[in-house]
Amino acid sequence: MTMWSAPRTGLQRLFDWKVRGIRWVEIIGLLLVAVMIFSVYVAKAGAAREGVRISELERQIADNGERVRLLRAEVARLEQPGRLEALSRSAGLAPVDVHRRASEGSLAAIAPVPEPRPVIIAPTTAAAVQAAADAGGPVAPAGPEDGR
Amino acid sequence: MSVHDHHSAYDRPAPGLSSGRRVSPTWRWFAEGIWCVEHAFGRARAHARPEEDARVRIFVILGLFALVFAALAVGAIHSALMAPRSGGGYAGNPNALVRGDLVDRNGALLATNIVHYAFYIDPAEVWDRDAAERQIRRALPEVPAARLRKVLDGDRRLIVMPGLTPAERRRLHALALGGLSFEPEDRRVYPLGASVTHVIGDADTGGVGISGAELAFNDEIRQAGASGVPFALSIDLRVQGVLENELAAAAETNGAKGAVGIITDVQTGEVLGLASWPTGDRLNRVTSAHYEMGSVFKTFTVAAGLDTGQADMNTRFDASEAFMVGNRRITDFHAQNRVMTLEEVYLHSSNIGTSRLAIEMGGPVMRDYFTRFGLMDAAPIELKESARPRRPRRWDDSTLASLSFGYGIMITPAQMAAAMGALTNGGRFIPLTLRKGDGTPVRGRQVVSPETSRTLLDLLRLNVVRGSGGFAEAPGLRVGGKTGSANKLVGGRYDPTHAVGTFAAVFPADGPVDARRYSILILMDEPSAYPRTGGYVAAPAVGRIADRIAPFLGVERRADAWRTARGERIAAAPAADGLVR
Repeated sequence: MTMWSAPRTGLQRLFDWKVRGIRWVEIIGLLLVAVMIFSVYVAKAGAAREGVRISELERQIADNGERVRLLRAEVARLEQPGRLEALSRSAGLAPVDVHRRASEGSLAAIAPVPEPRPVIIAPTTAAAVQAAADAGGPVAPAGPEDGR
Repeated sequence: MSVHDHHSAYDRPAPGLSSGRRVSPTWRWFAEGIWCVEHAFGRARAHARPEEDARVRIFVILGLFALVFAALAVGAIHSALMAPRSGGGYAGNPNALVRGDLVDRNGALLATNIVHYAFYIDPAEVWDRDAAERQIRRALPEVPAARLRKVLDGDRRLIVMPGLTPAERRRLHALALGGLSFEPEDRRVYPLGASVTHVIGDADTGGVGISGAELAFNDEIRQAGASGVPFALSIDLRVQGVLENELAAAAETNGAKGAVGIITDVQTGEVLGLASWPTGDRLNRVTSAHYEMGSVFKTFTVAAGLDTGQADMNTRFDASEAFMVGNRRITDFHAQNRVMTLEEVYLHSSNIGTSRLAIEMGGPVMRDYFTRFGLMDAAPIELKESARPRRPRRWDDSTLASLSFGYGIMITPAQMAAAMGALTNGGRFIPLTLRKGDGTPVRGRQVVSPETSRTLLDLLRLNVVRGSGGFAEAPGLRVGGKTGSANKLVGGRYDPTHAVGTFAAVFPADGPVDARRYSILILMDEPSAYPRTGGYVAAPAVGRIADRIAPFLGVERRADAWRTARGERIAAAPAADGLVR
């Protein structure tokens, strides 16, 4: 009896703890319920806010998708082969004759690269200049033009 | 005696209940319950059972809390999982079509869905109806005047015009008139207009295909739409564009009543281009019109003769005089009046030679090969418009002679394209398809041997180089083909003023039988220009088309035994003299 009467007494004290005739345990329980209700409300309000934002984003995505579809359709209309050919013909364009076509490999044969002009190496020292002059060879003037 | 209070002190009624105020029975019951619970401990002590009372109180509180929390849990679960998303989530267009975009094999757009708007007016909200009518008609002249007046004079909200474009809707919206409203509705849009129209077909406002590929692939297009992916057709829009332009140009040049063109990949059966002129005509002549195509059929007769071993290229046929089949006299259009080899029969397009060959083979063989080439059934293509041929009822000698040079049987151009594909791809009959392939080889049904196919490829090429198909030559593309010219049956007799000119071609004709190769079929229906033969009215268009589409298809220009890569004749090649066109 004494062994479990002490905790029982503590438990009883907890239950007996009253304010204005109402036990604290009941008040705390009600408060907990109120907090829970409020937290559910806050959570739902937050979810609703996020839902509205998601809806807005989805609407924007759908609108943009619709604009993309519209633009793609417009591009397809403008690029339809019949229209492009009519425009090309009116601009005087026509398929290139086979005799005027060339593959990448045959470009060199059509327009050969010109032969490189002979390179003249100018003397750089006074003695060499004199020697070149004596020999009747080219004498390049020294100066900034050399660098061109 | 007890030191505790008398039980009457705890059995008194709840305070405030005996003051004479009228309260509801529910409130009274609730207040009494609270009072009873609150003073149960005192009552229990009064009855000398304090421990029992504590248990009751704990149980009651436990029960209450359990009930409240259970209710909250149920509410939370209901809110979280089962409550409708009122106002949350974008519902989108309620009238959206679940139909995927149609694109060509390279992803170019052929058909899509665009939001349009149905235009409504609620006349009760229109302040000045006459002014509103004037402004609406000025902003949108297309609006039906009678309908607009009727709606404005009515007494309830009614639709005035469906299918407004976003721009038209903006113009009306900018009027800022009361009573005008718009409801979104998805519409199938074909941005290419009349181009590719016979391939794509049409879908109704409910998003169900009613013709062409829209009907043939209706379920798959809807599945693609649900998955958010486009549905690809085998058509190459670049090839299709060239085909349409050249076909229209040829038809106008020749003064034709109608024209047909179809380009296929003979190794896969994929249709790269399909055109029926005039484009405004809803009839798809490729799949739904029947023609006696004339000498193109000599290709099938020769193929059967070679494949059965009945003849080879050196087998000789007497065409020195008209061939009598019963009382019927068969002659050649360009008579050579001599004995000819099978090659010469083909190149000179000799009716006598092919008639003799067909009769030698007999009805069962001819029928068997015509069946193998798909000439006895509707063209194997997804389009529902594919019509069955008009076949001969009898297979006697006269009929065989007619069949050998393309009379007595009326087929669709799609059938001809499929049959020519089988003769030029190694002998495999591969159904035509508008579905983009995945690059895997198509096996098909073997209808002639690869050797026969190889021989025919050479023969077709020779016919362009030395025979009737010279105008189809495209420099370096090794075009092979066969002309066909036939008169139409008008009033019970064949009328030469109502002709059909055909050219069935393949390029490049050289290389292995399983090499990448494309067939082009051009048909001119009732050309008014003279001569009306296929070599003149259809072959030139084939040459121009091959020349223009070769770069798109990756066909390189190369020399062969007869022509250089630039189309010049090779001197060593035998010359062509006296051959008809």
